[in-house]
Amino acid sequence: MATLSLRSIRKVLGANAILKGIDLDVQSGAFVVLVGPSGCGKSTLLRTIAGLETPDEGSIKLDDKDVTRAEPRERDIAMVFQSYALYPHLTVRDNLAFGLRLRGESESKIKARVDEVSQMLGLGALLDRLPKDMSGGQRQRVAMGRAIARRPKLFLFDEPLSNLDAALRNQVRIEIKKLHASLGATMIYVTHDQVEAMTLADQLVVLNSGKVEQKGPPLEVYARPASKFVAGFLGSPSMNFTDAVVSDDSTSAVATGLRAPIDRQRFGALERGRKVIVGIRPHDVTVRKGESSAHGYRDGAAPTEIIVSVEVVEAMGFEAYAHGPVGGAPFVARVEATADALPRRGDKLALSVEPAHVHLFDPESGRSLEGAS
Amino acid sequence: MSASRKGPAWLEPLSHLVLLAAVAFALYPVLWVVSLALDGVQRPVARAIPWPDSPSLDNFRAILFARGSSGEWLFVRQLTNSIVISAATALTAIGIATPAAYALARFPDFVGAKGGTKALLATQMFPGVASAVPLYMLLDKLRLLDTRSGLVLVYATTAVPFAIFQLRGAFETIPKDLEEAAMVDGATRFQAFIKVVLPAARPALAVTALFAFMSAWNEFILAATFLSRESAFTLPVALQRHVGEFDAAWGKFAAGSIIVSVPVMALFYALQKNLVGGLTSGGVKG
Amino acid sequence: MNARALRWTLAARARLALALLSWLVLIVCAGEAQAQRTITVWHPYRGAEQRAFDQVLRAFERDRPGVSVQTLAVPFDAYAAKLEAAIPRGNGPDLFVDAHERIPSYLARRIIVSAESAIAAVPRTSDGLDLEPIALEAVQANGERYGVPLSLKCLALFVDEELWERAGRPSLDSLASIAAARTSLPTGAYPLVYYASNAYFHSAILHGLGGQLFDPQRGAYAFEGPAALESLALVQRLLADRVIPPEVDGASVTPYFRSGRAMTVISGPWLVGELGDARRYRVAVLPRVREGGRAMSPFVTVEVAFLASNAHAPGLAAELATFLASPEAARLRASVGRQVVATRSVWSEAELANDPVLAAFRRAANAGRVMPTHNNMRLSWEPANQAIRRALRDPQATRVAVEQGRRRYDDASRPLPAKRSALPLQLTLGALALALAFRSVQRARDPEFRAAVKRSVPAYAYVTHAVVIVALLVVLPLVLGATTSLYAGRDGALEYVGGANYWDIITARGGSLFASGTFYTVLLVTVLWTIANLTLHVSIGVVLAIILSRPLLKLRAIYRVLLIIPWAVPSYVTALAWKGMFHRQTGAMNAILAALGVEPISWFAQFSTAFTANVVTNTWLGFPFMMVVTIGALAAIPKDLYEAAEVDGATPWQQFRHITLPLLRPTLLPAVSMGAVWTFNQFNVIFLVSGGEPDGATEILVTEAYRWAFTRQAQYGYAAAYAVLIFGVLVLGTRLLERLTLGKQGGGK
Repeated sequence: MATLSLRSIRKVLGANAILKGIDLDVQSGAFVVLVGPSGCGKSTLLRTIAGLETPDEGSIKLDDKDVTRAEPRERDIAMVFQSYALYPHLTVRDNLAFGLRLRGESESKIKARVDEVSQMLGLGALLDRLPKDMSGGQRQRVAMGRAIARRPKLFLFDEPLSNLDAALRNQVRIEIKKLHASLGATMIYVTHDQVEAMTLADQLVVLNSGKVEQKGPPLEVYARPASKFVAGFLGSPSMNFTDAVVSDDSTSAVATGLRAPIDRQRFGALERGRKVIVGIRPHDVTVRKGESSAHGYRDGAAPTEIIVSVEVVEAMGFEAYAHGPVGGAPFVARVEATADALPRRGDKLALSVEPAHVHLFDPESGRSLEGAS
Repeated sequence: MSASRKGPAWLEPLSHLVLLAAVAFALYPVLWVVSLALDGVQRPVARAIPWPDSPSLDNFRAILFARGSSGEWLFVRQLTNSIVISAATALTAIGIATPAAYALARFPDFVGAKGGTKALLATQMFPGVASAVPLYMLLDKLRLLDTRSGLVLVYATTAVPFAIFQLRGAFETIPKDLEEAAMVDGATRFQAFIKVVLPAARPALAVTALFAFMSAWNEFILAATFLSRESAFTLPVALQRHVGEFDAAWGKFAAGSIIVSVPVMALFYALQKNLVGGLTSGGVKG
Repeated sequence: MNARALRWTLAARARLALALLSWLVLIVCAGEAQAQRTITVWHPYRGAEQRAFDQVLRAFERDRPGVSVQTLAVPFDAYAAKLEAAIPRGNGPDLFVDAHERIPSYLARRIIVSAESAIAAVPRTSDGLDLEPIALEAVQANGERYGVPLSLKCLALFVDEELWERAGRPSLDSLASIAAARTSLPTGAYPLVYYASNAYFHSAILHGLGGQLFDPQRGAYAFEGPAALESLALVQRLLADRVIPPEVDGASVTPYFRSGRAMTVISGPWLVGELGDARRYRVAVLPRVREGGRAMSPFVTVEVAFLASNAHAPGLAAELATFLASPEAARLRASVGRQVVATRSVWSEAELANDPVLAAFRRAANAGRVMPTHNNMRLSWEPANQAIRRALRDPQATRVAVEQGRRRYDDASRPLPAKRSALPLQLTLGALALALAFRSVQRARDPEFRAAVKRSVPAYAYVTHAVVIVALLVVLPLVLGATTSLYAGRDGALEYVGGANYWDIITARGGSLFASGTFYTVLLVTVLWTIANLTLHVSIGVVLAIILSRPLLKLRAIYRVLLIIPWAVPSYVTALAWKGMFHRQTGAMNAILAALGVEPISWFAQFSTAFTANVVTNTWLGFPFMMVVTIGALAAIPKDLYEAAEVDGATPWQQFRHITLPLLRPTLLPAVSMGAVWTFNQFNVIFLVSGGEPDGATEILVTEAYRWAFTRQAQYGYAAAYAVLIFGVLVLGTRLLERLTLGKQGGGK
C-alpha cells in the first residue's frame, strides 16, 4: 500500500503535448480509475507513473519518495497490460515467478507465492501451460496473477479488459473489485469504458486532451459533472444537450419544445436571455401520460417541459429509448418498455424533468454553471 | 485463399501437374549428382535418365575414409573444421548483430540510425572482389591469417549485415509490451532484452543463424585460398579439389557434395517452419 | 605455364588464391622457430610425387645427423603468392620447388638467389654436368643459373594398344585415314582425343608448323600470321573429318581413354596415375604434323629447386639442392614419384631405361620447347585460348578470331596510365575532413541535436560494438578497396594514377563503346541477366506459392519440402552439376534433346544458349526463395477479403489481380530489390556455368571485375574501379526502382 502524488506532470512527444500539467493524489488503498476517450493521455499518464515514460516536467512521489527519474524496477509497482504481455516462452508458473526471480527471492518463497496466487485466481490447472495454449480470459488472469505475486506497492492496469468479450468482461470486473477489497492495495486503472470506470472506482479521474477534467467519487462526478465533456462522457445513452436561453423570469431555460426548470440553489440567479446549454440525461425524464398520445397531444394544455416528436424507438426489453429532435438537437428519452405504453414513430411525447436533474453549461467554455453566479 | 474458392474441377489436376513439373525441375540436377556419386565408372556419353550404370559406394568410401599424409583421418578432421568454423560464424554473426538489430528496432530514431542503416545497406551493393584484398591486409595486421578465427571473421563480414537486417525485422514484430512488462517486473532494459525479447525471437534467431551457418558451410573460394594444409581444410575445399581441369573425379565430387549437403539440408528442413515467418518478418528493407 | 599449372582446380580458386594469399601464411611459419640445423622446404607435390620427395628428404637427413628437414606441401594455386609474401619477411622456406618459368617474377621480387654454388657441386660426367642441357638452359637468366633443375614435364601421346594394334607410333595422317575408314574403330570412338581448344595443347601443333604463341626474344605476343592460321586450319580439318571429337575439355579426356573410346590421346604425366590398369597402352612422342613434316613439339616445363633469399640456413639449402639432383635422389624421384628426372646418369641404369612410360616422356621432353620465361608470357594464354575456341567454333571467322586475340592481348598488356601526384587527392580529402569537422562542431552546439544525442544514449549501448566491428571489417576494407581504384599496376605494385582507370573504362579505352567486352556491353548483359532472372524467380515463385496455398491441396507438405531443395543444396555444387548437364557430349540436356529428336546444341558456343544456360541454372537456384516469401505473404492476406470480393462477383482472375497482387506487393518488394542486388552481383553461376563463354559475351560486371583483378596480371586498380562503378550503378538502380514503385503505390491508392 502506498500513496502517490503527481505534481504538474507535462509530457511532449514531438510537436504534441500529451500531458499538460497533471496533478493527482492517490490515497493509500484507493482504487483510482483514469478514464477518457482515446488520445486523452490516460495511458501515457499511467506509463509515466510506471516509469516507462519520463515526464518533461513535474514530479512523481511514491510514498513521499521522489521517483520521477527512477527506473521502473526501482519503483516497486506492477502493471497489467492491455495485451497481457505474457512472456511467450515461459509457462504460467514461470510467468508468475518472473518478477520474484529477478528480485532474487528464494525458490521456496517463490513457490509459496505462486501457489497462493494460483489458488486465489484459480490458475492451478494452468500452471504448466504456455501462453499460446490458453484462452484470452485465462491469459488475462495470469497477467493479473503476475502482478499480484509480486505484492507491489502499487498496481497499474492498462485497459486490462478490452480484449475480452462482454460477458467475461463483466465477470472479471467484479473479480478485480473483489481483489481490491481483499488485497487492500492501491490500484490505478486506465479505461475508456465508462461502465468499468463507474463500477470500479473509488476515485474517478476524467481526462481530456492531456488535462484532468474532473476528479472525485464516481457518483458525485456522475451527478454533478463539472463540464459538458464529463457529462457527455459518463452515462449511457449519453446526456442530451440542447442550446437554450434563460427565460425572462430566470426560472427556466427555454428552446423550441423545451422548457427546463432551473434549480436556483445550484445555479443561482442567471441573467435572463443568457445562452446556456441544457443537459438532461435520458433516464431523468418522465413521460407525462395524460398529455402524450398516440395521435398527437393537445396543444396549449398543461405546462409540458419537453416535447419530442418520436422518430425512432429502441426497445431494450426492460426499457426503451425514444429518439427525436428537441430544440434542433437530437434527444433521447428513456420510456417504459411495456407493449401498450411504447410510443410509436410520429407520436409526440410530453416529458417532464426534476430541476435537480437539469444541468446547465456555458456554451463557450463547456464548464458547468453550477455556483457560477 | 478462402476455402469457398475451390474453383472448377480441372483446377486440382492442373495444380498437381504444375507442381510435378516444378518438382521434376527441382530434383533433376540433384538426381544427376546422386547417380554420378553412385556410378563406378564414368562414360563420355550423354544420357537423359540419371541412373548409375554400375552402382557402387566406392566414391563415398573414398571420401569418407581418405587418409592424410601423416595418417590422420581426413574426413573427420575436415568435418570438424567445417562444423567449428560454421558454428562460430553463426554465433559471431548472431552475437554482433542481435543487440544492434534490437537498437534499430526499438530506438529507430537514435542519432545515426538512419545513416548507419543506409551505409550498411550500401555495403551490400559493393562487390566483394574489391574489398577482399584489403580485408586480408587487415587480418594480417591482426595476425589472424591462416587461422580458423580469421576465416570466421571473414565470413562474419557478410553474415553480420545480413543478420542485422533480418533480426531488425524480427524484433519489430515483438510487442514492446513484453519488455516493458519485464521492466516493471524488476528487470533492467538489458535483462528484459536477454530474458524476454531474445527468447521470444527464437524462431527468427534460428533462421538467421541457419543462414549464417549455411553461408560458411558452403563457402569454398576464400577457404581454399586461406588454408594450406589438407588437415585444415573445410569440407567444401577438400571436395572441390576433386574437380581439376584435367583430372575431374566427378564421382568423388558428387559423393562429397552429397555428404556436404546432407547436414545443411537436415538443418534447413528442421527449421523449415520458421523459414516463412523468419523471412517475411525480416523484410530486408532500407 | 607449368604442366601442373594446368591442373588448377576449379578456376575460381586459382586466381583468387594467387592474389589474396600475398598476405597469408605467416602465422603457421612463424610458429616453426628455426633451430640451428633445421631447414625448411616448401613444395607443391601431392600423391606419389610427395611420397618420393619425402623419402628423398629422409635419406638426406640420414646422412647428416642433427639435421632435420621440415616440409610444407602448399597447394599449387596459392604457392607463388605465399612465397612472395613470406620470404621477404623472413618467414619463408630455405628451399622451394617450383617451375622454371617463374624465375623472372621471383627475381624481380628478389626472393631467389643464384644457385651456381649448388650447381657447381653437382657431379660431372664426361660431357659436362650430370643434368639435362635443356633443363640447365631453362634456369638461365642474366648470365647466371637460378635453381637446380630436378625434372621435366610435357605432353606426350598415349596410345591405346587394344585399339591401335600396329607397331610404331601413329601420325596425324594415319589417324585421319582411320577416321575416314571408320571401320577399325568401335562406335563412338575417335582416333585422337585431346583438349583442342586450349592454347597449351594447341601450341604443340603450332610449334610443329614453325609458329609460336609468344616470342621470347621480342617479348611479344606471336599467335598470328600464317603459322597460326595454318595450325587452326589443321585442327578445323581434324574436327571436320571427325579425327577428334568436338568440344572436348581437359577433364573429359580421361573418361574417353579409360572407356576405350580414344585410340590415342595427348596428355601429360598426370594421366598415368588416373589410368591405372584400365587399358593396355604405351606412351610415345607426339606425332608429326604431316607425313614427312616436323613433329609436334610441346612446351616443356622444368621443375627447379630454388634457393630462397633470406634463408636461415643457406649453406644447408644449397647442399640439399645438390642432393636433390644427385643420382641417389633422382632414382627415388623417378621410381617412386614417376618423374622425368633431369639427372642424366640415372637414365643409363637399366631400371629407368627400360621404363617405357618415363623413357617416352623423356624423349618427348627432349623434342619439346622450353617454356619462355618472359613476364608477358602469362598474358598470352587468355587471348590465345579465346582465339582458338572461336576459330574452332566458327571456321569462317578464323582470321577475325586471331585478330581479336591480338587485341585482347594488347588490351591486357597495355601500358599503365602515367603516375600522377597524389597531392590533389590529399588536398581534397583534407578539405573534406576539415569541412566535416567544422560541421560536426556546429552541430554539437545545436541544443536540439544535443538533446537528441542524449536520448540516443541507451541505443548506443547496443550498437557501439557492432558499429566498431562493421566499420573495421566491412567498411574499412571497402573504402580501402575503393581507394585502390585510383591506383594502377600489375602484380600488386601500385602507383597513384588519379581517375585514369575510370577514364579508361568509361571511354572503352578509346575503342567503340559497344564493342564486345566494354563496360557498356557488359552492363547491358548484366541488366538483361538481372531482369530475366527476377522475372522468372518472381513469376515461378508466385505461381507455385499460390498453388501451394490452395486450401484443399493434397500432398502440400511433400511438394513444399521437395521444392525448396535447390535452396538447401550448396550453390557451387549445383552450379557445377548444371554445367555438366549442359555439356555438349555428356550433358543430360542434349540427351533429352536427342530423345526428342533435336540436334545436340553446343550450349556455350553462342551467346543466346550460353545465356539461357546461366539463366536456367540461376532460376533453379532462386525460385524457392521467392516461393517461400510469397507463401508467407499469402498467409497474411485476410481471407474475408476474398469472400467479400466473391460476394461482389469478382472472378478468380479479378481476385488475383485486385487483391492478391496488390497485397503481395509490400512483402515482395523488399525481397525483389534484395534479389535484384544479389542477381546483379551473382558471381558463382556465371563463373562456374558459362565462365563467360563464348568469348566473354556472357560475362557480367562482377565476373569482369574479377577477371581484371585475378586473371589479367592482378590489375587491382582497374578491377576496383569496376567495383566502384558497379556500386554506383546499383545505388542508382535501386533508387530508381524505389521511385518507380513508390510512385506506382501512390497512384494505386
